[in-house]
This record gives sequence, structure tokens and C-alpha cells, in this order.
Amino acid sequence: MTALAVLFLTGALAALGGLWAPPRAVKQGVRLGLLLALFLLIVAPSQSAFLGLFTLDPLARGVGLVAVLAALFASLVGSGYLEKTGIRAFEYHALLAFSAMGALAMAATENLAVILVGLELLSLPLYALVALRYDEQSEEAALKYLLLGAVAAALYFYGLVLYFGATGSFAVGAAAEGPLFAAGMVLLLSGLFFKAAMIPFGWWAPDVYQGAPTPVTLYMAAGVKAAAFAALLRVVVGAGYGGVWAAVLALAVLLTVVYGNLAALAQGEAKRLLAYSSIAHAGYIALALFGPSPAPAVGYYLLAYLLSTGLAFAVLTQVDAGEGVPFAALQGLIRKSPMLAGMLLLALLSLAGLPPLVGFWGKYLVFVEAARAGQYALLVIALLTAAVAAYYYLRLVAFAFFLPPEREGAVEVRPLAAFAMGLVAFLILALGFFPQAVYGLFAGS
Amino acid sequence: MLLLPFLAGLVGLFLPGLARGLGLLATLASGLIALAALFAPGVAFYAERPLFEPAGVYYAVGLDGASAALALTTSLAVFLALLAVKEVPGRMLALGLLMTAGLLGIFASLDLVLFYFFYEATLIPSLLLLGVYGGANRVRALIKFALFTLAGSLLMLAAILAARYYGGAESFLLRDLLSARPEGAAATLAFLAFTLAFMVKTPLFPLHVWLPDFHAENHPSGFADVMGTLYKVGVYGFFRFAIPLFPAAFAAFKPYLLLLAAVTALGAAWIAYAQKDYKRLLAYGALSHMGVAALGLFSGTAIGAVGALFLLAASALYTGGLFLFAGWLFARFGTLELAPTHGLAKHAPALAAFGLFLFLAMVGLPGLAGFPGEFLSALGAWQASPFFTLVAFAAVIAAAAYALSAYQRLFHGPPGKAVADLSGGEWVYATLATLAVAFLGVYPKLLSGPIHEAAQAFVAAIGGGK
Repeated sequence: MTALAVLFLTGALAALGGLWAPPRAVKQGVRLGLLLALFLLIVAPSQSAFLGLFTLDPLARGVGLVAVLAALFASLVGSGYLEKTGIRAFEYHALLAFSAMGALAMAATENLAVILVGLELLSLPLYALVALRYDEQSEEAALKYLLLGAVAAALYFYGLVLYFGATGSFAVGAAAEGPLFAAGMVLLLSGLFFKAAMIPFGWWAPDVYQGAPTPVTLYMAAGVKAAAFAALLRVVVGAGYGGVWAAVLALAVLLTVVYGNLAALAQGEAKRLLAYSSIAHAGYIALALFGPSPAPAVGYYLLAYLLSTGLAFAVLTQVDAGEGVPFAALQGLIRKSPMLAGMLLLALLSLAGLPPLVGFWGKYLVFVEAARAGQYALLVIALLTAAVAAYYYLRLVAFAFFLPPEREGAVEVRPLAAFAMGLVAFLILALGFFPQAVYGLFAGS
Repeated sequence: MLLLPFLAGLVGLFLPGLARGLGLLATLASGLIALAALFAPGVAFYAERPLFEPAGVYYAVGLDGASAALALTTSLAVFLALLAVKEVPGRMLALGLLMTAGLLGIFASLDLVLFYFFYEATLIPSLLLLGVYGGANRVRALIKFALFTLAGSLLMLAAILAARYYGGAESFLLRDLLSARPEGAAATLAFLAFTLAFMVKTPLFPLHVWLPDFHAENHPSGFADVMGTLYKVGVYGFFRFAIPLFPAAFAAFKPYLLLLAAVTALGAAWIAYAQKDYKRLLAYGALSHMGVAALGLFSGTAIGAVGALFLLAASALYTGGLFLFAGWLFARFGTLELAPTHGLAKHAPALAAFGLFLFLAMVGLPGLAGFPGEFLSALGAWQASPFFTLVAFAAVIAAAAYALSAYQRLFHGPPGKAVADLSGGEWVYATLATLAVAFLGVYPKLLSGPIHEAAQAFVAAIGGGK
């Protein structure tokens, strides 16, 4: 509750203060605000407020943490990129804070209407963030995101109306039967599949991820996905299994892991590749939704994914000068900056799910849930596509490590960004060896 | 024991200068621990701590006879390899040490997920060794290697999960899983998944195709190849996990597995004979040996299993030695082709003698380390299938053919380019390796005794499932 208030105040103060205060001060203020929110989320007891419209349970706490952490990380590593590309600084940080607030609101409720409010709160700042670079690519991405996001919200809204018609309630878990309810569920899921970037509603992701400013992509990949999955989990678990939507979910998982991984093979640009990989990861997370206790697995996976993909995008942010990151730009990174290359390696291997890195445990937990639900067919397909995924991650590693640089020149990294990235890299490795350390945050102990 | 090489490797990554010294100390220490475990009855140094309790994963390690034997030869082989190689980057040695830690973890794990953890973790340093320090076609070799390994091991992960949830075991601890073994079709599928993974890593025909490229493209010093040789944990995986967990499925597939093992043994030896590149020849030779070891294990007899594991442990020493030997040749000639190197015995008699010694160990000459493993494997295999045994042991004859013809081409014939004989460091290595190989040959009981204990448990596990 207080965390939500802190995020709101941070965003509001930054937006107003940006008009007269120096951008530097706004930037640091936002970072402090996000840090405070992070701290409050960790220490706050489970609670309920606004007549139960705001529920801070372990799932909300974990997902909120991931979203706020994503915003903080994007804020910390983005400064250099903003300067390189001439993005005005204070808006970037203020919008991040607002969007993180939306993510928390979306995760911390069991009311479908409030989820919609959170969804919009999360998305509106993002449309602006994506357009922030003011060039053709960035604007195209923003327009695509806006239009398709509006369609998603509309689908969700239709679903909500039908759901209300069938059950007479906006609360998740209001059980009902019949075609009206089933249609409502399918529409609700479709709207959330959009935000989670799951096929057949994830087509926007590659274009938008590629066009958006790189640190914004970082936040989108990790933070938005987290919020979307929190909502997805509540809707699916609340409705119970069976019916049309279970089949819809299984089909979506299948399409997502197969399409995401296969399409990623053909990419030649790193941001786009990670966009497809993000689609694939959405499929892996969704595998856990079948299991008997999916919340901790989903939360843990989201954290692992935030750390891994966040670090990968953070490295790309440092390399990118505003024109995207074709593979050739990564060539010889090991010589230009061994630190960045090492971090990229760590991030990509963790994304590939290799132990001893945190990504392995995320995948492991999710697969355990799928196994407990007896979804072995999906599990085996997901694992096989994970081998495909290893191929494109390794290809990226090969560019960074084994090929000579196209042109010489060092990559500059700001000290604060380097510190934040170092911390994340450490977490990826340390949680690989001590996976239990943060599990309590998601399991509600 | 696991921690020391890991720490040495980690420090070595950042301070490459220290890698060799620390590595020597760490592998010496882990070797001594393994030696102590070898003499202790039952499972030595057992430790069990929750690693990820909500998920049922425990850090459970311990060394029984078979694990200790393999851990011992692994430590010894790395120790010797660290002595033998010169002029290699310290970071490369550090990666090798990280890999050693992973390998020791594989041999010590008594929790299936922990085993998988080490199994996959070991892949990362081996990929880096190949990718950063390999030859011209390394990216191709690397992708091949990684995809084969991952495709196999990811299926294995599914099988691991299935093994627990179909059987209803409390956790992934091996003893829990063994007391609640899954049955029926699920067990068969899970066994097949394990089999694929371990066939890649044994390797067995037809999943061996990554191996020759892997060795041919690795760093010419041979250090990485030694690590690669040690990474052939497939036979161990079958022995420790796949077969005891799914004895019924194993019994059903036994004839096919024996067939594959025999084909591997003979086919690889045949191909080895035709190789013109020294490392490729060794790769196929080693492959053939693994076929023999697999045959011994698949016989399902205690004696065959002892032979298989003995062969696995001993071949780490002499195959590794031969790869390092290849590194020395490369340092002298700048090539690994067999053709331009001949008449070496004239200029470097000690080098030639050492090479002959290793080749003879590989051929399986009685009195050297290769013999007991091959002999016991054959004895065990004969009980299961005399026909396949005959087929596979034609490979031993073929081994004599490829090894001795390679030797002849290398050392006899008209004297070629004048090269230096063994240098100081090389002498140390050659002496120690010779001693180790000969010692295991004349006193195989050091390893075979403790392995036998473990092998009896293995046979009991199979028998119990029928």
C-alpha cells in the first residue's frame, strides 16, 4: 500500500519537478523513490486495502519487486544511452516510476476491473517511453504498440463485460459455467496474452522491442511481462482448470515456445533476437500455470528472467548508439570491454537456462510445475525448443567472443551503471548456487 | 573436494598467473581425498544439505567405490595435465579447473537434480575452452557439440522430473527415487530420455558425430582434450542413474544397447585406422574404447560393470596422455597431420619410447592400465552376448592396427625434421604418467576392489526390479 503511494508520489513529483528542477536531481530522486518502494515491498506484511481491491500477497509482492527492480535497473543503466541519443532525461525517469506503479497495481489486486486500471496505468507511460527517441523507428514502434495495446485492452474489456454478465462479479474466482463465461475467459486471456507477448497475440513484440530506446526495451521485457503474468495467473487459477480456456492456454503455450524460438533463429539484430526470446520465455512461464501451486514458480522465473534479460539489454544499452545492435556491432566485444562481454555471456547462458546460473532454477521450477500437472507432452516440446534457444544464444556469444571487432574503439560505461550491472551479474551467479535465498519472497513464508 | 578446484579456477580466471600453481594444489588435494574415500568402506564423505528445499533438491554428495575411483583418476589426470602443458594461457587452465570441479561434482552427486546441475554446469567451461582457444572451425564444432549435449540433457531433465513425479518419491535424492521407482510406459520413456543423453556423452554410435570435430578443433596443446576425455561421463551416468532407476526398461532394451556398443567399438576402431589427423585418430580410438566399456556395462553383470568403470577411469590417464603427447608433437612440428612426421625415434628416442608406452596401454597390453578394464568388460559381456563380444573385440585387434601403424608412421621411416627430445617438465610428466599407467596395470585391485563393491549394488538394483 505504502509502496504504491511512494511510486505515485515519485512519479508525480518527478513529472512536476522536472519543469523547474535540474534533470539530474529528478533522476536521482526517482532512483531513491524506486529504491524506497523496493524496500517497502520487501518489508511490508501481507495486507489488504481499499475494501480488498488492493491485496498485497506473496505473488503481488514478488511481481511488484520484479517490476520496480526493472524500472530501477532501466533508470540506472540508461543514462549513457539517453545522452548519446539526445533523449530528454527527466521524462524518462518519471514515466518509468508511473509505469512501475501501474505494474504493482495490476499485480496486487484480485479484481478484474482493477487489473484493467493497472494495465492502462502501466501501458500509457510506456507508449510515451517507446516514442521518446523521436526518430522514425521509435515513433513507428510507439504507434504499433499503442494501436495493438488498445486492441488488447478492448479484448480484455469485452471479456470483462461477459465475465460480469456470467458471474455478476468482477472478482477473480467467481465461478460460473456456460458459453458466456467461457467466451469471457477466452477474451480475458487474449487481452493478457497481448501484454505477456504470447503467441498468437505477441506479434508486436519484435518490432516494438527493436524500435524502442534500448533501456525502455529492458523495462518492457522484464517489468511488463511480470505484471501481465501476475494477472494471467490470477485469472487462470481463479477460474480453475477445464473448459475451453485450458485448451486455449495449452495451445498458446505450444505456439509461443515453438514460434518464439524458431523465429529467433533467423534474426540478425540483437534486440530483435531478444524480443523473440522474450516471447519464448513467456511460453515457459505459462507452463507453470498448469501446476498445482504456480505462484512461486512464476514469481521466481520472472525474477530470474529480469536479472538475465535485464543484464543482456543493459549490455546492449551500453553498446547501442541509437541505431540498434546488429550482430556485427557486438563483434569483438571481448576486446573492447571484457567486462561487458563477460556479463553478456553470463546473461545469455542464464537465459539459456544453464546451471550454475539463476536462469536454470527458474526453468527448473516451471518445469516441475508442468510435470506435477502431468503436462509431459508440452514439457518435452518446451525442452526441445530450449535446445534450439541455446543455439541462438550461443551464436550471439560467438559474435561477442570469437570474432574480431569490425572497428576498434572502447565502449564507455558509467560507474553507476557498471555498479548496477555488476550487482545483477553477481546475483545471477550467487542465486545459481544458493537458489533458496530469495525463494521466500515468492512463497509467502 | 569440489570447492578447491572451483576456487582455484575462479581465482585463476582473474589472476591467470596463479592458475597453474593453485590448480596443482587443488587437484592434489582432491586426489588425496578421493584416495582416502577409495579405502573407506561404503559411501565416504557423505554430506547432505538442502540446496533448494521447497523444490526437493538437496546438496547430497558422497563417494562410493566407483565414484572415488573416477574422482581419483580425474584429479590425477588434471594434475598431470597441468604439469605437462606449457605456453598455454592461464585462463585456459582456470577454465579447466572449473570443469574439474564440475566433473568431480558429477561423480559425487547423489541427488538427481544436483547431478544434472553439475552435468550442465560443466558444459560452460568446456564450451569456452573450445570457443576461445580452439582452431579455425571451432564455431562449427562448438555448435555441434553444444546442440548434441543440450538436446540430450534437456530431455534428461524431463525424465528426471518424471522419475520423481510418476514414482511419487519424496525428493530427488537417489535413495528416495530408488525406493519409489516408476513403472510402466512412463519408465520406458524416461529411460529412453536418459539413454539419449548418456549416449551423447558416452558417446555411442550414432550420436558420436560431435566428438571428432570437438577434439580436432580444440587447443593444440591437448589440455582441453584431456578435459574433454574426462567429460565422457555417459557410462557412469548409465551405471549410477539410468539403469538402476529403470531396470525393467533396461532389460527390454538391452539387446539394442549391446548392439550399439559393439558397433561403436568396432566402427570407431575401423575409422580410426583411416585417419590422417593425429587428434582425430585419437578421438576415434577413444570412442572405440568407450564402446567396449559400454558393452561391459550393458552386460548387466558385476564383472562387466567393474571392467567398464575401470576402463573409464584408466583411459582418462592414457587417452589424456596421448592427447597431451599430441600437443608436444604439435609444438615440435606445427601440425597434427600424420604424414609429414616420421622417423621421430632418431632424434627424440625418449619421446618415442613414451609414445609407444601410451599406445601400448591403449591397445590393452597386459600389465598396463588398459588391460584390466578391457578384459573384465569382455568377461562380463561374454555372459550377456558372446556374439557381440566377438564383434566388439575385433575392435581390440583393430586398435592394435591403428595404434601401431600410427606409431610406425610417427617414429620410424626415414628420419625427418630434427626436433628436441623431452624437456625437463615433459620428463616429469612422462615419468609420473608412466608410473601411474603401469601401476594400475600391475595392481588393478586398487581401483577394481572398491568399484566391485559399487558394482554389486548396481547388479542388486537390476535384479531387484525384475
